[in-house]
Amino acid sequence: MLKSSRIIWLGLVLLVSMSMTLAACGGGAAPATQTPSAAQPTQAPAEKPTDMPQPTEAAMEQPTEAAPATAAAPSGAFVSKPSGKTTSSGFECPEPQPKLDVQSTEVNLFVWTEYIPQDAIECFELVYGVTVNRKEYSSNEEMYATLSAGSSTYDLVQPTDYLVGLMKRQDLLQKLDHSKLPVLATFDPNYLNLEFDPNNEYTVPYQGGTDAIVYNSDVIQEAPTSYADLWKFVDAGKLLSLDDSRAVIGATLLTLGYDVNTTDEKQLAEAKAKLAELAQGITLYDSDSPKSALIAGDVDLGITWTGEAFLAAQENPAIKYVYPTEGAILWQDNYAMPKEAPHPDAAYAWMNYTLQPDLFFLMLRDFPYTNPSQGALEFARDSALTVKDADGNEIAVADLYQAYTESPITNTPPEDLKKGHRIEDVGAATPLYDQIWTEIKQ
Amino acid sequence: MRESKSVQGTLLATPAMLWMIGLLIVPLILIVVTSFGQRDPDGNVIYTFSLHNYIRLAGIKTNCGDGAAVCFDSLYLRILVRSVGLALATTLLTIVLGYPLAYYVARAPARRRNMLLFLILIPLWTNFVIRVYAWIRILRAFDLLYTPQAVLVGMVYEFIPFMILPMYTSLEKIDPSLYEAAADLGANSLRTFLKVTLPLSLPGVVAGTLLVFVPVMGTFVVSDILGGKQFELVGNLIQGQFLDARDPTFGSAASVILMGMTLIVMIIYTRKFGFGEEVAIT
Repeated sequence: MLKSSRIIWLGLVLLVSMSMTLAACGGGAAPATQTPSAAQPTQAPAEKPTDMPQPTEAAMEQPTEAAPATAAAPSGAFVSKPSGKTTSSGFECPEPQPKLDVQSTEVNLFVWTEYIPQDAIECFELVYGVTVNRKEYSSNEEMYATLSAGSSTYDLVQPTDYLVGLMKRQDLLQKLDHSKLPVLATFDPNYLNLEFDPNNEYTVPYQGGTDAIVYNSDVIQEAPTSYADLWKFVDAGKLLSLDDSRAVIGATLLTLGYDVNTTDEKQLAEAKAKLAELAQGITLYDSDSPKSALIAGDVDLGITWTGEAFLAAQENPAIKYVYPTEGAILWQDNYAMPKEAPHPDAAYAWMNYTLQPDLFFLMLRDFPYTNPSQGALEFARDSALTVKDADGNEIAVADLYQAYTESPITNTPPEDLKKGHRIEDVGAATPLYDQIWTEIKQ
Repeated sequence: MRESKSVQGTLLATPAMLWMIGLLIVPLILIVVTSFGQRDPDGNVIYTFSLHNYIRLAGIKTNCGDGAAVCFDSLYLRILVRSVGLALATTLLTIVLGYPLAYYVARAPARRRNMLLFLILIPLWTNFVIRVYAWIRILRAFDLLYTPQAVLVGMVYEFIPFMILPMYTSLEKIDPSLYEAAADLGANSLRTFLKVTLPLSLPGVVAGTLLVFVPVMGTFVVSDILGGKQFELVGNLIQGQFLDARDPTFGSAASVILMGMTLIVMIIYTRKFGFGEEVAIT
C-alpha cells in the first residue's frame, strides 16, 4: 500500500526548500544587479519651480569653458596628499584631510545597490583600519521599512530627498555635528540647504539626478521633446516606464499643467484617465535595470533616470535623454545617520573621507550621476592622474571629467534644472496615488 | 514507562511547536489584527476595528466622482480573479506536461531512474531569480517577453518539479504485478492505463496540485520579471502595500483574503479528491 503521507512529506520538503530559495531572492525583489537609481525625489517646495533653491550652473560650467578655466581654481583649492596605501585595483588612496579619531572597528552602511566605488571602500578600510559592512537596498521604501521596524544596526543610510522629511517626523535620524563634517565645504552650495533639509541638519548630499525622457533615435525618428509627446507613441507599444507611481503620475500631472505633488482628487482623476491611455502602450515597468531592456530593444522610449540613461547611451549612442519642456523631475540622494547609529565616529570619518574630492571623483568613473561636490569635479578637471576603468584600461581622470560635463545626461543644463520639479511626500494622499497606480497597471 | 515516553515525545515536539507558534501563529494573528487597522499619513498603523480595508478590497466606494453615493469598482476583484486563473492554468499545464515525464521516469530501469530524477532536481540548485533572468533571453528570441504567455511559461517552469516528483512517487509505487494481471486479463495498454495506472497515480496528482496551486497564488517574482510588471497579481498587490504605498493595513487585509481564498479552494479540492490518499482500483 502506498503511504500517502510519504508523498505529502516529499512535497513539503520540496516546498520548504523552494520557499527558502525564494526567500533568498529577497522576497522577489529583483536581484542585486541594479543601479541605484532612485527613487523619486521629493520634498520640495510646493511653490513654483522657479522659486526653488535649484542647483544651478556653479559646479557645472560648459565643458569647453571648463578645461581652460583650470588656472582660476577657487582660493583654498583642495590639495591631494598620498597615503601610501593602494587598493586591489591599483588605485592609490589619498590621505584623509583631516584624519578623524576613530575608536570603532567597523562601520555599517545601508546604501543603494551599485552606488559606492569599491576603491573607496578599500581605501577607507586601509587608511582607517575600520571594517566596512555594506548592505544594499533597491528602493527607498525597503530601507524605510527596515529602519522603521526598529533596526539599530546601521550607521549611515542614503534616503532620497522626499523620504528625509518623513524620516525626520518619525524620529529615525539624528542631527549631524557639522564640526565633524569639514567636507561639507567642498560641496556646491546649490545642492546644500535644500527645502527638505534646511541647513543640512540631518543630511549630506551624495548624488543627484533627474527623471526624464529616454528614446532610441535609431527607431524613433521624431524626437519627443515633452512628456506629452509620449502619448503619440502609444500605438507603437514599446514604451518604458519607471515602476514608480509618483514619478509617472507626476509626469502625467505636468502634461495637464498641474503640480507634481497635488492632492486634489479631481486633478488626480484627470491624470489617471490620461495615464490609462499611455498605459496601453507601456511594455515594461522597471525601476531596477531599465537600461537592459533599452539596449536590447525591448522598449524604444519612455521615462527613466540619469544613471540608467547614461549607461545605456554608453552602450548604444543612439539612446538619447531629453529634458521635457514641462520640466524634468529632480531628485537627490543623501547620507543620513540613523538615531541609534552604533558607530557615529566611523560614520563621520567615512563621510569626510569618501566624499573628499580626491576620492569622491571616482563616482564619475563608476556611477555617473550628477555630482554635487564642486571639489570633486574641480579635482577631476585639474587632475593629471590616470585610473583603471572597469576593463582594467588606464583612463585619464581629466577625460572622465570631460565625459561627465559633455554629457547633458549627467550635467543637466542649468535651464532644465531651473524648470525641474521635486517630489514631496503627499502623506494622506499616498493611498490615492497607489490606487491610481494599481489601476493603471491593469 | 509509558509516561516517560510521552514526556520524551513532548520534549521532542517542543522546539518545533515553539517555532510554529512564534514564527507562524503569532505573525498570522498580527496580520489579522493589522488588517482591521488604519494607516496614518506617515504610514504608521493605528489599531482600531475598521472594516474599511475589506470594503476597499471588495470594490465598494463612497467617493465616486459622478455624484452617486456608492459605486462599485472591480479593480481588486479582477486582480484576485487573475491570480486564481493563473494558478489554475499553471497547475493544469504542469499536470499535462509533467505526467508523461513522471510516467517515463517511473517506468525507466532503476539505475537510469535515479539519474533522471537527479536531472529534474538540478535546476533547483540554482537561484530561481537567476533562472528567470535566463528566460528573459529565451522569451525575447520568440518575441514573447513582457506578455501574459511569458508569465505562464515562467510559472510552469518554476513549479513543474513540484508536480513531477509527487506524481513520480505515486507511479513508482505501483506494483508491476498489477500490470501483469491486467495483461493476463486481456486489458490493452490504454485500458490498463485508465483502469490501473491513472487511479493509482491520482494521489500524486492531488499532492502535486496542492504544492503548485498554493504557492502560485502568492508569487509575484515571475510576473515582475517576465511580465514587465504589467500584470498585477495578489502577490504584487500585497508587496506594493507594504513597501511603496506604506499601507500595511490594506496589505494585511489583502493577505487575509488571499489566505482565505486559498484555504477555501483547498478545502473544496481535498473534499473532492482527498488529501492525496490511496484510491481503490475499480
